[in-house]
Amino acid sequence: MEKKDTKLAVWICQGCDIGASLDVEAMEKVVGECGVSACQSHPFLCSDEGVELIKKEIAAGTNALVIAGCSPRFNTDTFTFDGCLTERVNLREMVVWSHAPNDEDTQMLAEDYLRMGIVRAKKAHLPEPFETEIDKTILVVGGGQSGMTAALETARAGYQVVLVEKEPELGGWLRNFARSFPKTPPYRDLETVDLASRVKELEEDDRIQIHCGAAIEKISGQPGQFDVSLKTNGSTTQFRVGAIIQATGWKPYDASRLGHLGYGSPNVITNVQMEELAASGKILRPSDGKPARRIAFVQCAGSRDEDHLPYCSAVCCRVTLKQALWIRELDDQTEAYVLYKDIRAPGQYEDFYRRAQEDSGIFFTKGDVVSVNETGDHNLVVDVENTLIGKQIQIEADLVVLATGMVPAAADGEAIRQFRDAKAVVDKGEAGAQLEGAKQTVERLAAHEGTDVLHLDYRQGPDLPALKYSFPDSHFICFPYETRRTGIYSAGCVRAPNDFEACAEDALGAALKAIQSVELGSRGATVHPRWEDRSYPEFAMQRCTQCKRCTEECPFGTLDEDEKGTPLPNITRCRRCGICLGACPERIISFADYSVDIVSSMIKSIEVPDEDEEKPRLLGLLCENDAYPALDLAGLDRIQHSPFIRFIPVRCLGSVNVVWIADALSRGYDGILLVGCKSGDDYQCHFIRGSELMDTRGENIREKLLQLALEEERVRVEQLSISEYHKLPRIINEFAKQIEEIGMNPFKGF
Amino acid sequence: MPTPYSVKPDRDFLRHLLDDGGEDLKKCFQCATCSVVCELSGKRQLFPRKEMISAQWGLKDRLVADPDVWLCYQCNDCSTHCPRGARPGDVMAAIRRETVIEHSVPSFLARWMSRPRYLPLLLLIPVVILGLAAMVEKAPAAGQKILYPYWWRLPHAVLIGLFGVLSVLVFVAMTVGVMRFWRAMKAADGDAARPTKSLRSSIATVLKNVLMHDQFSLCKTEHSRLLSHMAVFYGFLALSAVAVWVLIVILTAGHNPLVPGELIYPFNFWNPWRMLANLGGVAVVAGCAWMIWERLRQDKKALNTYSDWAFMATFVLVVLSGFVCEALHYLRLEPHRFAAYFGHLVLVFMLLAYLPYSKFSHTVYRIAAMVYAEYSGRNDDVPIEDTDEPKESEKSIIDQTSEKETNE
Repeated sequence: MEKKDTKLAVWICQGCDIGASLDVEAMEKVVGECGVSACQSHPFLCSDEGVELIKKEIAAGTNALVIAGCSPRFNTDTFTFDGCLTERVNLREMVVWSHAPNDEDTQMLAEDYLRMGIVRAKKAHLPEPFETEIDKTILVVGGGQSGMTAALETARAGYQVVLVEKEPELGGWLRNFARSFPKTPPYRDLETVDLASRVKELEEDDRIQIHCGAAIEKISGQPGQFDVSLKTNGSTTQFRVGAIIQATGWKPYDASRLGHLGYGSPNVITNVQMEELAASGKILRPSDGKPARRIAFVQCAGSRDEDHLPYCSAVCCRVTLKQALWIRELDDQTEAYVLYKDIRAPGQYEDFYRRAQEDSGIFFTKGDVVSVNETGDHNLVVDVENTLIGKQIQIEADLVVLATGMVPAAADGEAIRQFRDAKAVVDKGEAGAQLEGAKQTVERLAAHEGTDVLHLDYRQGPDLPALKYSFPDSHFICFPYETRRTGIYSAGCVRAPNDFEACAEDALGAALKAIQSVELGSRGATVHPRWEDRSYPEFAMQRCTQCKRCTEECPFGTLDEDEKGTPLPNITRCRRCGICLGACPERIISFADYSVDIVSSMIKSIEVPDEDEEKPRLLGLLCENDAYPALDLAGLDRIQHSPFIRFIPVRCLGSVNVVWIADALSRGYDGILLVGCKSGDDYQCHFIRGSELMDTRGENIREKLLQLALEEERVRVEQLSISEYHKLPRIINEFAKQIEEIGMNPFKGF
Repeated sequence: MPTPYSVKPDRDFLRHLLDDGGEDLKKCFQCATCSVVCELSGKRQLFPRKEMISAQWGLKDRLVADPDVWLCYQCNDCSTHCPRGARPGDVMAAIRRETVIEHSVPSFLARWMSRPRYLPLLLLIPVVILGLAAMVEKAPAAGQKILYPYWWRLPHAVLIGLFGVLSVLVFVAMTVGVMRFWRAMKAADGDAARPTKSLRSSIATVLKNVLMHDQFSLCKTEHSRLLSHMAVFYGFLALSAVAVWVLIVILTAGHNPLVPGELIYPFNFWNPWRMLANLGGVAVVAGCAWMIWERLRQDKKALNTYSDWAFMATFVLVVLSGFVCEALHYLRLEPHRFAAYFGHLVLVFMLLAYLPYSKFSHTVYRIAAMVYAEYSGRNDDVPIEDTDEPKESEKSIIDQTSEKETNE
């Protein structure tokens, strides 16, 4: 629906080759045909003079602008005007820089983009911020290295902090480690861990409220309004916070699963046990209390191993170097044998590795440890293969230390939820076929029962969803500390295996994220990656059929639901990706400036040439995050692509509603290309599941096409990362060629 | 399934290696840059990296039976290119030193040779022995013309007797040492040895190699070593030849054994044998001077160990003291002439008596190792064992990397 009180003006910039490559007069005529009388062109619109002209027009009452010129990704500040909706038509990167100048097809392309822009400007509303009361207190869960740092840094930035620790004292693993590897130059000598002064600093800061021996009972609400109930010494306290930093740390990998490495024998211990032994000042064998003289360190014990932890825990190598130096310091008679896959001593820690290498009692060899066996009297023999000493070697040892890795001390919220849902079905005991499936689910996920950490009152589960390797973090360079719950950030070893220093750095990052979250929330804006966006989803609930697709598919758990299944939106949890909009079969979800209707109208606004003109029309729906900038980059490089395709940016591939495809096909488009970010475990999708959802929806689309007797090749989904921008024009051209081969859409002209 | 090799670090051996000039060996992290630049590694499967890791673990049993270490001429390409400053060239030298100590009999003498604190003791032994010998006076026979004072001290008969016994002892010690080395090499190879040549032809090949200094010309970085070593080598051969000739002449009471009745001893200055001796002496001094210069200049490139210096100093001093004796002889300076002669004899004693234990022993051990290498088929092209192939996991990394490169 078009807005009633729109006073629209169109500006066409002629700079950057646009005027020289296009017939601007003809374009002005198109604007007139679209029913807009105010249309002007300017040779250099982003100049002070150009901007002044626009400002004058706005002062005279214009409240919507179409600016046809460069990509909206350029001159964004210049062309942002308070209280005025601005639609940018990308004539530079997507038209003149990527197509032949003064060509009929290029001209048609530019005119179609102008039509689309005008339609959007007519239909979109200027977003009104979502105003709600925001509490700016930050909750830090976990009082170890990361949690303590996060609390301190957040407080230093001027925010109130509540620090919660489950143990009776602060410190976490720092309490178990008497000495640490060096954190300062020259990175050679062991350091003593000083916990007391840090705890004192925290206790003396009156902005920090510390709860030790505490357990979270429940967290409900949404960013800016999280209501926490905390149980301490049998009594429950309740308070409100605005954002949460989860710094719950790590657990050592369960060594009882490492029987092949001898665990179970009294003289095979883990690196965590070794820490205690070294702190005692004497390395005595657990079996007979005799001093251990020959100590073998087995690196990557259960790490970088598909059967155990597939990842590297980042610190075990340095911990072993530390322990080897430590035991050598305690007794010069002791020998340490380090059996490694690779020594990973990043950065300056190379010097620490050198330091350990220099010691004449520490021996290193690369190799695969295949077994650790007892030889009687609890002495041990380690079998190592593929070493540089020999293909198969044996080393006798009095004590074997397994360098086990880190497992995040987090719970998999989604698994817990699945478990609970299935258990509810089993407990009810109804429904035959479902019951069987539910029983299996209960069995499969039994280990998740009672693992809750945050106890979130979210429909999608009581904890952060686990991502790659069960770490609740994106693991992609663009989104550190981001979890799939807005306003909740992970820091330290719960996010990724880290050393003390990296944990502190993490804590700082997560603290800043948490602060951003409450600050942006207080302005009614969303957080990364649609930072500062003030639009938000609105639901026309009277038409809702309670299909629950939006509650299920939202990657951020924005929607809870009542007993009937009606969605209950929590707007500050939302990141404005529009995935719900794409999911909704009833099309009841819309944003002020992004809706099913707006995009449909844009699709329908173009001129589709007749079949006999042999000018196919293709629709491209480009994800704004990677694909759209990628095409801009290709334009900057002047890489040409087919002039038959019309691109519309979408917030996320997951926000594509299937009806747009149907609309395009019935309007006479011959093919539809959808380009989104990479999905999968190492996803780059800015909204985590967008591209993945598009794949499943793609199945439905394929069925629809077959029903319409259309070739399924007419719709293609591609995933692209921004660094592959040079591939995009090739993808477009190949698709155009393929569609030409298939032939024109038979629905053209109906 | 082959029996796994049982790794037992010998920390004393490791400490000795560290003390013998291999002090940086623990820095090695087995990147194999040394093997890539080394001329020898192709046939010898990652030489010297395998020696480096064995050395790091103090695996004495392997290293003292390793002929490859002796095929290295310490061109120091490896030390020059080592990214971690582990100086494999010096480590090889230290291993050679320890090999000599291990096999020589009695081995404490070899250990003394590599520690400066024993130098006074080692010097005292020939001084005492020769001093005692000098006590023996032999009255001049009636009518015998006294050429110069003191001539009856240390007469030729005594010297021949003394050095004769010494030579026999040295020969026995040397032979025992080399035999032990040979057996160790053979035992270490076990079934892997596959002799393809006869011992005799192996020796012939090696001798030709030694005479021509073939191995030295492989060095890419230090060509000067070829010439300096050649000068010392041939200078020494010339001096040895003259010494043998003199011995024969003395045994024939100063007569030319080829021309009966011709009295030729003492040689006059223009005698070809004396000229050969002088030329040889000059070559040795010049070669040594060059080596010393190079060593001082390239101080950073290769460590100069005490045992190296001790040997070179003894050698050059033997020749220099010889020249001094010669000069004083012509000048008829008394009693300096005798003092110089005594000093010269002490130095010769040291050079000869300590041959099986000093750096000098490389002449024999190296040749033994080279012959063994030739004889056991080590120098033949051998297929590289599959351990050196990239493993599956490494392959995939390589593939990924190359894929990435093509993508970009």
